[in-house]
Amino acid sequence: MTDPTLPPPPPPPVVLDPAFVADATVTATEVSVWFGQKVALSELSCSFGPGVTGLLGPNGAGKTTLMRAITGLIPVNQGHVTVDGRSPRNDREVYRRVALVPEDEAVPGGLTPRQLCAYVADLHGIADRSIVEWALHAVDMVPVADRKMDGFSKGMRQRSKVAAALVKNPLVLVLDEPLNGADPVQRLRLIDLFRRLGAEGRTVIVSSHVLYEVESMAERVIVVVRGRLAAAGGHRAIRDAMDDVPRQVLVRAPDGRRLAATLLGSDVVAGVDVDGDDIVISTTRAKELAMLLPRAARDLGVHLTEVRPLDDSLESLFRELVR
Amino acid sequence: MTATATSGRARPALLAIVGYTLRACLPGRRWVGILIPSAASLLFGFISSTVADTAVSAFTSVASNALFSLVLPVTCLVIGDAVLGAEVRSGSFTFTWMAPLPTWQIAVGRWLAGSIAAAGCLAVAFAAAAVVAGAGETADSVAIAAVFGAQAYVAVFIAIGCITKRAAVWSLAFVFLVERLLGAALAGIAQLSPSWEARAAFIGLSDAREDFIREGIPHGTAALVRLSIISVVALALASSRLRHLRLTGSSD
Repeated sequence: MTDPTLPPPPPPPVVLDPAFVADATVTATEVSVWFGQKVALSELSCSFGPGVTGLLGPNGAGKTTLMRAITGLIPVNQGHVTVDGRSPRNDREVYRRVALVPEDEAVPGGLTPRQLCAYVADLHGIADRSIVEWALHAVDMVPVADRKMDGFSKGMRQRSKVAAALVKNPLVLVLDEPLNGADPVQRLRLIDLFRRLGAEGRTVIVSSHVLYEVESMAERVIVVVRGRLAAAGGHRAIRDAMDDVPRQVLVRAPDGRRLAATLLGSDVVAGVDVDGDDIVISTTRAKELAMLLPRAARDLGVHLTEVRPLDDSLESLFRELVR
Repeated sequence: MTATATSGRARPALLAIVGYTLRACLPGRRWVGILIPSAASLLFGFISSTVADTAVSAFTSVASNALFSLVLPVTCLVIGDAVLGAEVRSGSFTFTWMAPLPTWQIAVGRWLAGSIAAAGCLAVAFAAAAVVAGAGETADSVAIAAVFGAQAYVAVFIAIGCITKRAAVWSLAFVFLVERLLGAALAGIAQLSPSWEARAAFIGLSDAREDFIREGIPHGTAALVRLSIISVVALALASSRLRHLRLTGSSD
């Protein structure tokens, strides 16, 4: 029997599913979308909050479908989506706070970027035209802001669309492959812009096939595979959680065969592949390998010229999840 | 950095949509497709002048069978598809659709722009055809009928663009199967047809050939009213369907 004088026991700690965030602005609940016989999304649940979230998945995984469902461009067949507490499909006021940069290359070619931004401002009743200039400046389009978009490259079209999205001053910014076609300098500039927007407290959802760029700008990652949620969280946390997935480490050392033979005798190493000075070590215990490797090299008098993980990236995570 | 537009005021959304549609959806290439049928009107006017009949009678026949049955629908189809269906297919319609506006404003804005382009173009072309045919006294009637017919057709094609994915194909089917085949046989269908009603409006307004008046469908001013009703109904349908549009993008 419990003592009535004692305070009640504290509630158990809340373990938040990594697919969800506490301060969600966008929530997808049990969302299914299909096109005819093809299931594009299947009972997918996740949420997005302030900051940059990367949306990853192979082609046809359902990333674009999820983004279009979030922005109300397509209806969901089951489940529901809310943005800032509203249904994007039923409440058009949502569009005051939500902007999308679609993957399609299509832009109204007869217009200039400045005219497109001004059009978006007019549709939203924005009288202050300085925001148009700010948006063009943010994506480095001021020098070409009065050129018709007909002759623009893919990267310039993407940046024009980003500018048009920024004019809305959106709370939620959904970017479908926004770095497509951008040159390296513009990529860095856009990545920096998205980071800043996230740091300002906006919800920025970015999909991309260039995974190292997503790693560099998104603190949180949602992985969608075959229309289902495959993983969620920080990319390293996801990788660490996959303990049973072998990782590969490249070791480059002269006389590497001796080192390989020694490492093979350890239960930390699952396999070794030697090719000249290159040794590719497979392990499921990366941290222990990190301790063992320098010790073994020192004992054998082998000089390590390079040690680097071959698959510690979202690319490899992706492959494992899809497999 | 230029700062030419740092101050100003937002245009009304409806006007913004009309301006955008005229500039973005009807670029130079589209105008070629619009002006070719208009130029064909002049050719029909010339052909009419060679017919061994009175000028007004010959032009009424040519206008009924060529201008209102062929030039009017083809020109409006090009424009009607351009102002909505083509944008939906290309993916750039999202710029307009993702705005906190009621869908009727989007539908009406697109229709206004399309109607301005179609009516302006066809009214001038048809009136000029009447003059070329030597039937200048019917120029005002044919121009008025063209304006009302054009705005009704554009509304119908916008509605088709909101209902189907292959707007151009279904619009062609509407013109050639529903209007030309069924409309020729059934007065009930002809009453809902912009082509038949525009033709009836012209014949009624010009009082040229009573033998061209088709029984069972209104003509003259009554046909203009009917064309306006067709526009309103088509726009209401378009507005309603816009809410349920699936914008899957150009890749789909």
